[in-house]
Amino acid sequence: MNSELFTSLAYCLIGGFLIFLAITVTRDNLSNKLNRVTGGMFLCAGLGPIFVAMGTIMSGGSAASGNLEGSVLYGLHHLWEMFYPSLLLFSWIFPVDRLRKFRYQRLRYLIFIPQIMQVALLVFFGQITGIFEALRLDPGAEGLVALILKPLSGLLEWLFYLISSLRNEHTAVFGAINLFYVGAAVYFLESGRKYLSNPRLLSQTRLVLWGTRLGLGLFVVAHLGTTVLPYQFPLAIKSTLMILALLVSTGIFIAATIRYQFLDVRLILRQSFVYTVTSGLLVGAYVLIVIESKQILIGLFGEQAEVISYAFIIVILLLFQPINNWIDEIIRSMFIRTRTDHRNILQRFSRQVISQFDPKKLRVIIDDSLRTSLLVEKVLFVQFDDEVQEYAILPDEDQPRRVVIDRNDLMLRGINLLDAPAYFDSLSDFMEGSSLGERLGERGIKMILPMKDADHMLGFVGLTNKIAGYRYSSEDINLLSVLSNQMVSALTNARLYVESLERIRLQEEVNMARQIQLGLLPSEPPTVSGASIYACSTPSRTVGGDFYDFLRVNEDRIGIVIADASGKGMPAALMIAQIQAIIRSEVNNGNRIETMLKNMNQQVVSASTSEKYVTLFYGELDTANGRFYYANAGHNYPVLARANGEIEFLKEGGVVIGALPSMEYRSASVQLASDDILFLFTDGLSEAMDQNDVEYSEERIHKFVCEHRHECPDDLVASILSDMKDHDPIDPPRDDTTIIALKMNCNLQELT
Amino acid sequence: MKLSSKEQAGVVILEPKGKIMGGPDASLLHDKLHECIDSSQNQIIIDLAQVDWMNSTGLGILISSYTTLRNNGGHLKLANVTDKIKSLLTITKLVSVFEAFDSVDEAVASFK
Repeated sequence: MNSELFTSLAYCLIGGFLIFLAITVTRDNLSNKLNRVTGGMFLCAGLGPIFVAMGTIMSGGSAASGNLEGSVLYGLHHLWEMFYPSLLLFSWIFPVDRLRKFRYQRLRYLIFIPQIMQVALLVFFGQITGIFEALRLDPGAEGLVALILKPLSGLLEWLFYLISSLRNEHTAVFGAINLFYVGAAVYFLESGRKYLSNPRLLSQTRLVLWGTRLGLGLFVVAHLGTTVLPYQFPLAIKSTLMILALLVSTGIFIAATIRYQFLDVRLILRQSFVYTVTSGLLVGAYVLIVIESKQILIGLFGEQAEVISYAFIIVILLLFQPINNWIDEIIRSMFIRTRTDHRNILQRFSRQVISQFDPKKLRVIIDDSLRTSLLVEKVLFVQFDDEVQEYAILPDEDQPRRVVIDRNDLMLRGINLLDAPAYFDSLSDFMEGSSLGERLGERGIKMILPMKDADHMLGFVGLTNKIAGYRYSSEDINLLSVLSNQMVSALTNARLYVESLERIRLQEEVNMARQIQLGLLPSEPPTVSGASIYACSTPSRTVGGDFYDFLRVNEDRIGIVIADASGKGMPAALMIAQIQAIIRSEVNNGNRIETMLKNMNQQVVSASTSEKYVTLFYGELDTANGRFYYANAGHNYPVLARANGEIEFLKEGGVVIGALPSMEYRSASVQLASDDILFLFTDGLSEAMDQNDVEYSEERIHKFVCEHRHECPDDLVASILSDMKDHDPIDPPRDDTTIIALKMNCNLQELT
Repeated sequence: MKLSSKEQAGVVILEPKGKIMGGPDASLLHDKLHECIDSSQNQIIIDLAQVDWMNSTGLGILISSYTTLRNNGGHLKLANVTDKIKSLLTITKLVSVFEAFDSVDEAVASFK
């Protein structure tokens, strides 16, 4: 194949593709100025190579521009240089229209004048020369015309000289202008990048910039090198450089368009491109196989050859779809970045959010996905705040503080009615007097994405327009609607996760309180001369309201406390801790029992609400004489089972501790004798209920203790607990259950 | 617990029904009490005829009702106290604090 034909074919292809790109970009969003300008830019860029190719073919394959110089076609081929002013225009309005406040918008098109002048100069040079020839005066002419023209002739001569030199040096002059334009465009594009925060748009622009720079560099070498430098390139190198410049810059623009959805151009391009390539391949294959091998076929099959060629067509048609898919796959893996494809956006989003339980990080992912995949400029979150039980606009870079929304806000109600993403404009009925509506308007919100679960709205996401002012397509809205469902489940999961963490934390706290409370209880009953003691406490929940303690009052006296705080759990446990501290300090102060309870009551009343109280029994055993001094503050009567089977109750005392202020308490004493059993318990034992709601009851306790009075204390406690279990097998018990048993030893009697 | 109320000779009679166990019961009774106090009706009888059971928290509610009324210059009396609750009041010695009557009429008469 000869090289000129190859060159012009390459030119033609590149030009064709550029024009195709121009049509696609323009058609994709005709209403947008940016698309129109880019389309125009690509169109001009495409015209150049096509004109050159046409020229080459028409001039019969000889050196491209050499023979054509002077022809109309050569003049017209410079039309493609309109590309440079278009590029400059593009750099002004991308990514932000920086001239939008400029008063005389149309003046910007003046930058096209040099290129138009050049084309006009080249096309109409013959006519211009003719006019000047006609105007040129004979040196000896006379008359009115001469009178007028004579003073001008010098000017005309000068003008003609200027035009001709422009004509002769047009490559250098206009080349320099073009170069200046490109330089300016690169500068503007570079400076425009500071307007960008969107990562996807940044990478697009970076790619476009590189394309422009590379193309420019190659173009300068090829185009200006010949005129500015003394060294003349051979024509082949020059055309190769030109083709390379075009190939590189076009290729990069194409990649930016398809791969990064430059200017938001959708994948239609890919589809049509794939169809074209597939059809071309198949038709080529058909031509090669059927037409070229016709002779062989006829030789082989004779009359049947026609049928065979039809069979080929059928086979090829059948192959169309698989081959089409295969090419599509290749193109997809080569060009399509996963993040620009809606299906992939969804898959990626789901993958990211499924393992993310931190609401803050979740919002970052949502924000990032919307901005990079849909080119949304800004994202605003409004979420229901569990703390204040109101909806609030969450802080972002534009608004550092959270803004709580009035629950009766009209706009909020309007949004609550939404089931799917909707344009903010469509909610204009709810604008009246709504501060939320006002805020959303101020922030440039264009789209509202409600996040609703089965019964209520978790919040919504407000989206501004897409970058460069694009509106949302119906495809975008579908995607948003699916994304919002994903967001709802992700946010709900995150909330549940946080709640479960909170529960675990609370449980840990309760466990800690339990440890502290267990630390408060005596690890084992004290050894007392003349008596044996056994105690046991089983809490109903992890932290109970029951409490018992033994205190060494002095050498002879041992103090015993049993108490039950109303309620259970943490508040009860805290109250118990307070009681224990008070008792210890009162005993240290050496106060009498009745004073001790009075003081304790006063302190507890002032420290807690009146509905919280403690029933408490305090007693002191004098081991020297076996006398037992006590006061009962509203506690279940301890049972004194005498060795002979008689039963007494220790009732004397006063009102429960902590209920009412200024209460008086009385104390009493009983004489204990050998084998007498003192049995103290809390209502967990007496009120243990069977399945028929029958209580274990105090009477049963009295009877049981009386019957088992000969057992030693630990056996007695164990057997009554097992009896209680028979009555109410629930474990742990419904209520805290505490038992203390004290039995007087025989040797005590000898003491007294 | 359910709570209804009526008035007899200028005395408010609250009639709780079921078990007094704390939690929502507490706020129900408190709200009612404060309603009465706000409308200057601070002589109140709680008729316990239909209360079959009361735990320690329930008793706490009664105590705080008593305190609330007394702090507002009023009186709380109990009527129709069942044996079960009577023994609870006895053990806790609160029987000396609360005035308990066998019938609503007796309780109302005691305010005269």
